[in-house]
Amino acid sequence: MKSPTAAVSRWVDDRFAASRWVRTALNKIFPDHWSFMLGEIALYAFVVLVLTGIYLTFFFDPSLNKVIYKGSYAPLQGVEMSAAYRSTLDISFDVRAGLVMRQMHHWAAIIFIGAIVVHLARVFFTGAFRRPRELNWIVGVTLFILAFVNGFAGYSLPDDQLSGTGLRIAYSIILAIPLIGTWAASLVFGGEFPSEAIISRLYGIHILIVPAAIAILLVAHLGIMWHQKHTQFKIAGATENNVVGSPLWPSYAAKSVGLFFMVSAFVAGLGGLAQINPIWIYGPFVADRVSSASQPDWYMGWLEGALRIMPAWEVRAFGFEIPNPFFPGVLLPGITFGLLYAWPFLEQRFSKDRDPHNVLDRPRDRPLRTALGATALSFYFLLFLAGGTDVWAVILHASVNALVISFRVAVLALPPLVGVVTYYLCKELSGAGGGRRKPPAIVERSVDGGYEARPAPRPAGSPEPELAPEPLPETAGTTE
Amino acid sequence: MIPIRRPSKLVATGLALIASGCIALVAAAPARGSQQTAPTQGQGNPLQLDEGRRLYLESCSSCHGPQGEGARLSGGVAAPSLRGVGAASVDFYIATGRMPLADTNSQAVRKPPAFNDAQRAALVAYVTSLAPGGPPIPVVDLKGASLSAGAELFLTNCAACHNAAGVGGALSYGAFAPSLHPPTPVQIAEAQRIGPGNMPVFGPETLSDKQVDDVVRYVEYLQHPDDAGGAGLGHFGPIPEGFVGLLFGLGSLILFVAWVGTRA
Amino acid sequence: MTESNRPEGTEPHDPHFDPAARHPERAERTIAVAFVIATVAGLALAVTYWLGGQTQAEGALLFVCLGGLGFGITLWGKALMAQGPFVQERENLIGSDEDKAAFKESFVRGEESFERRRFLLRLLFGGVGALGVALIFPIRSLGPSPGRTLFRTQWRKGTRMVRSDGSPVRISDLEVGGVLTVFPEGSVGSSDSQTLLLRPAPSPITTQPGREDWSPSGYLAFSKVCTHAGCPVGLYEHDRKQLLCPCHQSTFDVLQGCQPSFGPATRPLPQLQITVDENGFFRAVDDYTDPIGPGFWNRGRRKG
Repeated sequence: MKSPTAAVSRWVDDRFAASRWVRTALNKIFPDHWSFMLGEIALYAFVVLVLTGIYLTFFFDPSLNKVIYKGSYAPLQGVEMSAAYRSTLDISFDVRAGLVMRQMHHWAAIIFIGAIVVHLARVFFTGAFRRPRELNWIVGVTLFILAFVNGFAGYSLPDDQLSGTGLRIAYSIILAIPLIGTWAASLVFGGEFPSEAIISRLYGIHILIVPAAIAILLVAHLGIMWHQKHTQFKIAGATENNVVGSPLWPSYAAKSVGLFFMVSAFVAGLGGLAQINPIWIYGPFVADRVSSASQPDWYMGWLEGALRIMPAWEVRAFGFEIPNPFFPGVLLPGITFGLLYAWPFLEQRFSKDRDPHNVLDRPRDRPLRTALGATALSFYFLLFLAGGTDVWAVILHASVNALVISFRVAVLALPPLVGVVTYYLCKELSGAGGGRRKPPAIVERSVDGGYEARPAPRPAGSPEPELAPEPLPETAGTTE
Repeated sequence: MIPIRRPSKLVATGLALIASGCIALVAAAPARGSQQTAPTQGQGNPLQLDEGRRLYLESCSSCHGPQGEGARLSGGVAAPSLRGVGAASVDFYIATGRMPLADTNSQAVRKPPAFNDAQRAALVAYVTSLAPGGPPIPVVDLKGASLSAGAELFLTNCAACHNAAGVGGALSYGAFAPSLHPPTPVQIAEAQRIGPGNMPVFGPETLSDKQVDDVVRYVEYLQHPDDAGGAGLGHFGPIPEGFVGLLFGLGSLILFVAWVGTRA
Repeated sequence: MTESNRPEGTEPHDPHFDPAARHPERAERTIAVAFVIATVAGLALAVTYWLGGQTQAEGALLFVCLGGLGFGITLWGKALMAQGPFVQERENLIGSDEDKAAFKESFVRGEESFERRRFLLRLLFGGVGALGVALIFPIRSLGPSPGRTLFRTQWRKGTRMVRSDGSPVRISDLEVGGVLTVFPEGSVGSSDSQTLLLRPAPSPITTQPGREDWSPSGYLAFSKVCTHAGCPVGLYEHDRKQLLCPCHQSTFDVLQGCQPSFGPATRPLPQLQITVDENGFFRAVDDYTDPIGPGFWNRGRRKG
């Protein structure tokens, strides 16, 4: 008992009486399933974001003061630019290890939000948001929105041409809000675009306010999960009243720490070997310049696509108007996030299932929910693709106009189709039989060469009512 | 000028030249360029002019008319008059392989040139001998050219269509601004002066000869840009970045957790 | 694998506490190799940085170092530690009726000392409410009133037209087919005043009825700010006489007064009436007659 670990734990325990709680914690069981680690990818991407972000703050100067560039990137020497842009160039070319950190930060952001979306999809399709976990779903959706906002704020900070173009569009979208748009745009930007204030405001938001909110909500997200215990699939031995898996200490902890290093490793690999956001190519922001293929980062792509394929409609009456960008830029995200927040309650309302659930659904066993989810995902995926019409036009040698019109049709026509296909596919896979399928037939060939068909016996088990609070069918010990 | 008398020949039908209007309008504008290089207007030696006329009648006259007067083709599109278009225009279209036009229904695209340097010089000499005017072939002098001035000019005037990285971009209805990676310095300078196809014209009052050289120098840089961050991902910006980040980055991590989450 | 998934009670020799791997020594060797590789890569990373740094080497070495650690630790946890499966009961997350009743009793007891002095309570709410209202006002400091700024630009009656380097623009400066971004003199770089000067033809063009004398020598001037989301409409297709916005592909027909012909834009780019002074310089006749740029709710209500 002379080891340093023992000494430290004794010291702590003599002051906090912590050993009882910690022992319980160490023995806590976590269910094993690969899809339960998707959220962990997001968590560790956030840790990488904080670490690389702290490094970047030592060198970044969030100021729009005009300076003349004298750094080592030759093509811009002598060019007038903002201090923010110059400091980003310095990070990229003159701070040792600066570029790898900057690129890791950006790649980590892309993976962070990607992992959040995949995690959210997992929670949705397995019904992990049901009672008692509605509140944690709300915390999760809020984390998603915060990540989204912070990604855009970070993209805007370097004051390069691409970020300025993005801010210009953001300003126009705020301006389009009825009644308050003009005031809101002026208050957010500190005046008419491009204002002197916006970069320093976004800096505070990006490095302090939103990350702090994310950190606090992450603690809440994990704390609630800890208290309520993780959901599990219906593997052998798993019931509504127990947790089957491996203990936090040591095996789950080791695997989780390993995952942290692995997330960092892939972010670092991308950060050093794949160039991201080469702001020196885009040049400093100048209000009358623009580059073709001005795209936002991927997570804004669905909004970009919606802005592009929205037909030229707007509402005008008595000298007042609701400008066109309001519909794709304000209404669409409002409905999107509103529906996300409301989903657990909507489902409770329509399924009348208000019971606690600790055992997850297999997506196929909830055809309606899965079909609705697939419909929504395909809708947003098509919008995301529509955000790159000009790039697809170059790559495919196609007409950008034809692409825009195709996406207008596809966004409305394909998602319902995807939903219907998913619905019947789920029915098929879950083995529920029934549905609207014809009963299967057995065809027999007789000795003299004739064929005779007779109806096959119906498979066991009756079709489940949609979103019904019934137990899942036994899946004979499969672990999914 | 060598007048050629020939019975007027029926022009080939079915040719629609998308790039035509521009040349016609360039032809109407007076030439202002000061720097010139051989071959210049109507100064070719008689042998060269004969060769040029032969090549012209063989490959160009069916659309542009026996004396370069242009013709209205079926489809309502005019093959532009080549009278007074200037040496830069003839040189650019032939050197980049855009003329003679292969596919008459779409934008003239870069392809291996149909004529060698001597033949091209002969054609330039002959066509420019038909009528005076038009921008001459620019002399590109990169010694005094400023890379940073070129960057500013490029980002202001060129990036909107050709992309800040010079990889090209989409225009409306299937037209596109081509990638700037293949053209030579002279061709880049010529394009600025003549405004081929949908490209606007940048005359000497818009961009001085020095500024044209600056732009050429920066485009040459963009052909081999400083990819300090690693693989350039085609320089198409956030779209390839998103796909690499999600499919490779997040995809690899999901495969990893799939391995971690599977019981041995 | 499904057979071993039975979480049963512990026995004297509990197989649940055995390493998960069938060949632990093989896993141990793999982990050791991963850690050694990580160590070497880490040292190489330090040397790289010391020698001046190189982004690609840093990224690759960091990948190997972190990846080696990550793979090794994960395999350790996965192959050499007990995986169970173990089972643990869940606590009941629904509060018992006794607890609820006890809570209510405690709460109501405390609440009474407020309830008894309702008058004070109302005053307290009033004070907190007033504080809340007062705290909203500093938001006003964040930006100026939008006022009339959205209805006006820097163009005025007789303002001379200059390029981005400040030099004035003459009637002879553009070839047919040329395009130039111009500003009002004294406001170079102004975001809302940026204007495209185009010369689609050598002679005057009437883009709309009533604009017969707006295009001296075939020069046309349009606001460069897209009426959709405000990007600079920088893409001029000379052959088609179209302006295309690279952000969302709104297309404007130059010869028709930049009426939108495709994409999400609903309004034409406002045209600036221009004239030529006695020295051959372009001047604005007045500010734009319509507000430039993207729409806002009361755009049609006040003229600047």
